Amino acid sequence: MTASGEPLTYLGSQQTAWGINMALTKAKFENFTAFKDLEVEFSPGINALIGENGTGKTHLMKACYAACDLVKTERSLAYKMVEVFLPSGRQGGRLVHRGGEETEASAEIHIDDWYARCTFHGPNERTVITPVDLPKPSLASVYIPVKEMLANAPGFLSLYAAREIHFEEVYRDMLHSAYLPPLREPIDDAHGRMLGSLEEVIGGKVTVSGEEFFLTNEQGDLEFTLLAEGWRKLGLLWLLIRNGTLRDGSVLFWDEPEANLNPKMFKTVMQVLLELQRAGVQVFFATHDYVMLKELDLQMTEYDGVAFHSLYRDKETDEITCHTTSRYLDIRPNPIGEAFDQLYDRQIERSMRGLV
Amino acid sequence: MTLFTEDNLQITFNNVTHARKFDDSEHGLSHCMKAVDFVIELPDRYLFIEFKDPENPDIPIQYRAAAIQNLNNSEFDEDLKHKFRDTFLYEWASGCADKPVEYFVLVALEDRPLLSRRLEALELNLPLGMPASAAWTRPIVHRCGVFNITDWNTTFPDYPVRRLS
Repeated sequence: MTASGEPLTYLGSQQTAWGINMALTKAKFENFTAFKDLEVEFSPGINALIGENGTGKTHLMKACYAACDLVKTERSLAYKMVEVFLPSGRQGGRLVHRGGEETEASAEIHIDDWYARCTFHGPNERTVITPVDLPKPSLASVYIPVKEMLANAPGFLSLYAAREIHFEEVYRDMLHSAYLPPLREPIDDAHGRMLGSLEEVIGGKVTVSGEEFFLTNEQGDLEFTLLAEGWRKLGLLWLLIRNGTLRDGSVLFWDEPEANLNPKMFKTVMQVLLELQRAGVQVFFATHDYVMLKELDLQMTEYDGVAFHSLYRDKETDEITCHTTSRYLDIRPNPIGEAFDQLYDRQIERSMRGLV
Repeated sequence: MTLFTEDNLQITFNNVTHARKFDDSEHGLSHCMKAVDFVIELPDRYLFIEFKDPENPDIPIQYRAAAIQNLNNSEFDEDLKHKFRDTFLYEWASGCADKPVEYFVLVALEDRPLLSRRLEALELNLPLGMPASAAWTRPIVHRCGVFNITDWNTTFPDYPVRRLS
């Protein structure tokens, strides 16, 4: 159930041409970072996270990403959480929700029938509890942070491996995924269409030479440091599709896809995200942008599994809570829409000055 | 009180001098002139009123998204502009453009941010005010606005609009 009590109708797994995929189904937090007590159910398709600054959109995605990454490594969820959130001194205890009496935090991430739960208390203690009677699900994932990294990628992975540099692990993981060579098998029609749409926008394909990324077209190779920052992000998406990271059964987390992009490109971005979802990729993105949300609203069909999650601070408890809906117009609260509403109110007021 | 029905919307005009449906068969020049839906006469001015209903429940749902997307292109704005111009000329030729004219468009769409751009475009496309260099004695259009149903009913309580189904 959502905060408003509205029942969700998602089935938990997504049926694709290849069968049933596993998907993130739920996250529960107690005294964890921004969240005092929060439970969110996910769509196996697209999950759009909105909310004002400081409502925990990025935290929610990072926690879910940590659980996805866990299923392909032997590390504990608590360890991965610390590397992904990077609290000062890597002290897990610093992930405990501030401002209350509580000294223990917990995060529980569900992937179909499987779940991982970790707790933090005290300065360093990390605990992980996972059901042992079910095998770990196979769930490849990638997290695209707000900050673009491809232009500064050369040397980063070796530096990260050798030195204590203060970067969350999502940057390293993302570069590992970006450096994967293209798949040997031919690209299917759906993925071919997505690559074509992105190539049209950025004006070429992405190639890697040594550790450097280039935009390649008939005019030659353009190094990423000379490429518009927004295009680098789309170039990363192109790479992740081309090298099979974003394949059937994988999960994409994208923090503020609108960053550094002209809104005219949002149509293509949303078209690709919806195509990915239809090809069996579970998508999470956090946004502050009206056009991005509206593109989703206008392009989604009744067959797409879309959930809009609005994270907000409850007026009575002053704690973060979440309202989930499958319809754009039912998003409550909608801080993005409210900002435009206020502009429109003032615009009408100016037009009608002295009226009637 | 005068009541008109335009597809799935109904509007009631209270306290007006005269209200008429403008784009009906009596117009007679629809082959060469566009027309707004209603022309309303008040004691001190005329109101030109146009309705757009992209969320009309009578439109099959598969076409509704396209209807809403059409709001975001320049043809929509051009259509509103030409409807105003041709109606103004028609009324001028009828000897009726003798009072200030205001042009109001109702777009029956809940999503207000989309309407904000349409209002900007309408203000840009109409000759609001008068050119400093020309010897005009009065503006062609005094005021314009774009509203959804809720905003319309708040702004014009004497001309309430309601959806029929």
